[in-house]
Amino acid sequence: MDANPKLLLVDDETAITDRLAPFLSRAGFDVRVAADGEAALQEIVSYTPDLIVLDVLMPRLDGREVLRQLRQKGDWTPIILLTQVGESAERAMALMEGADDYINKPFDPNELAARIKTVLRRASPGQPPLTVAERLRCGDLVVDRTKRRAYLKTKEVDLSPKAMSLLEYMVTHPDELLSRDRLLDAVWGWDFPVGTRTVDTRIAELRRVLGDDPGDPQFIETIPGQGYRFIGKVEKTS
Amino acid sequence: MKWWGWLLSLLPAGIGILIALLATNEIISDPILFLRGKLAAIAILMGVTISIITIAATQFWIYNQRKQKREIRELRKQASEDRRHFLQRLDHELKNPLTAIQAGLTNITYEPLEDYLANEVSAVQAQVLRISRLIADLRKLAALETTPLETTVVNMAELLTEVVSVMKDQTNLEDRQLTLILPNAPWPLSDVEGDPDLLLLAIHNLLDNAVKFTAQGDTIEVRAFDDRNDIVIEVADTGPGIPGTEVDRVWEELYRGEQARSIPGSGLGLPLVRAIIEKHGGIVVLRSRPDQGTVFSVRLPAI
Repeated sequence: MDANPKLLLVDDETAITDRLAPFLSRAGFDVRVAADGEAALQEIVSYTPDLIVLDVLMPRLDGREVLRQLRQKGDWTPIILLTQVGESAERAMALMEGADDYINKPFDPNELAARIKTVLRRASPGQPPLTVAERLRCGDLVVDRTKRRAYLKTKEVDLSPKAMSLLEYMVTHPDELLSRDRLLDAVWGWDFPVGTRTVDTRIAELRRVLGDDPGDPQFIETIPGQGYRFIGKVEKTS
Repeated sequence: MKWWGWLLSLLPAGIGILIALLATNEIISDPILFLRGKLAAIAILMGVTISIITIAATQFWIYNQRKQKREIRELRKQASEDRRHFLQRLDHELKNPLTAIQAGLTNITYEPLEDYLANEVSAVQAQVLRISRLIADLRKLAALETTPLETTVVNMAELLTEVVSVMKDQTNLEDRQLTLILPNAPWPLSDVEGDPDLLLLAIHNLLDNAVKFTAQGDTIEVRAFDDRNDIVIEVADTGPGIPGTEVDRVWEELYRGEQARSIPGSGLGLPLVRAIIEKHGGIVVLRSRPDQGTVFSVRLPAI
């Protein structure tokens, strides 16, 4: 049997780490805790974790700086950011800077455990994740993340800003079951009372613009009662 | 200063010059007055002096007014910034404890619990969720002040149909009559420019209130029409109405009216509606009669 995946949990709030560490151990991970960015950088060298759960706001060296320093060194250990900011642009930026995923505080610990497993499954060791690629291709579809534009057969498509953010999140998380609640949290950052319908409306817009038939989808598949999945094969392109 | 202001200020100088011209051309007599000055010279001198003083005084007054307005604007801006920072800090300070509580609760429920403990835990979980929602709403309010709108063309007729159908699907209307009235003739409702998700949220909050504050047998009407360059959306109900003393206060953050105490809600629904509508360059007002009902009226610029 393989050894348990090694996790490094970085947060300056001991009230959180004291609760989360035992939870994550029970969920099947070897967990170590670091209380700030500097301690995290040291632990990463000695412990060589398989994945880092990194809080953004910390004293001394904050999470984004840790992320930046690691990625600059060419260290592509998967990282899930625990974000505090409500603005979607900031969250999208976190992905571009090299985070594999992010989850907004407060969160359900079970959701965090599920995300960790997904990121570990998706990650290819030592390789940059899809989330940092500036351009992604899936068949005839090209998503230019720096320009925030999408092209179908080299022709630019007209998407509303939210649909663009949604597409961006979906192509950077291919093959994952994305529940409406998760998409809402990740893309909108808001907990809408009518939110799940809002997600459906934007998905419908994406399908219409991309010419994707829900009955025989090329890009977005509906998982009845659960959410959506981006099923196309996504690759980095220049 | 307006043109007539200049005219009035320069009038004394004009009169002075006129008297001087008339006197030197001997149309009127030009006697020597005090300080051995002739009427013509004294008239010019006085006229011009009065004009200069008037102009200087008005300019000084205008400058002061502008300064005051600028100061008020800056104070308001400062206050709104302070409030935003406060909300951000509050949001941040509440998130960490909530994350810890949620993780702690999950740890407790890892082992099967006795019934009464399980009940207690799920009650605490529900309250944690309630606080999470509240801070999410506070964050929404703060974000609305800072984040620019992501706008697109919004078909309000479709959006209203959507909100009403969501409400019919998700809520047990229990014999309340909910109708949507949209114009078809001579032309359909105009589009607006805005963020469809925010507008949906605003209208949903209004309709949700209407449902919450009505009982079986009541009527709720959602209607929309064009009015000159705007579109007007009204959400009307035959509920208990809002007492006159509360009509202005319902827009205040976290304010809960007498009748609202027994009804679940955060006290942020209406402030959010107002923030969203005003961010779209619109206004929202309410009319209410005790025991007859309430109408919320949203006015948005049409395209």
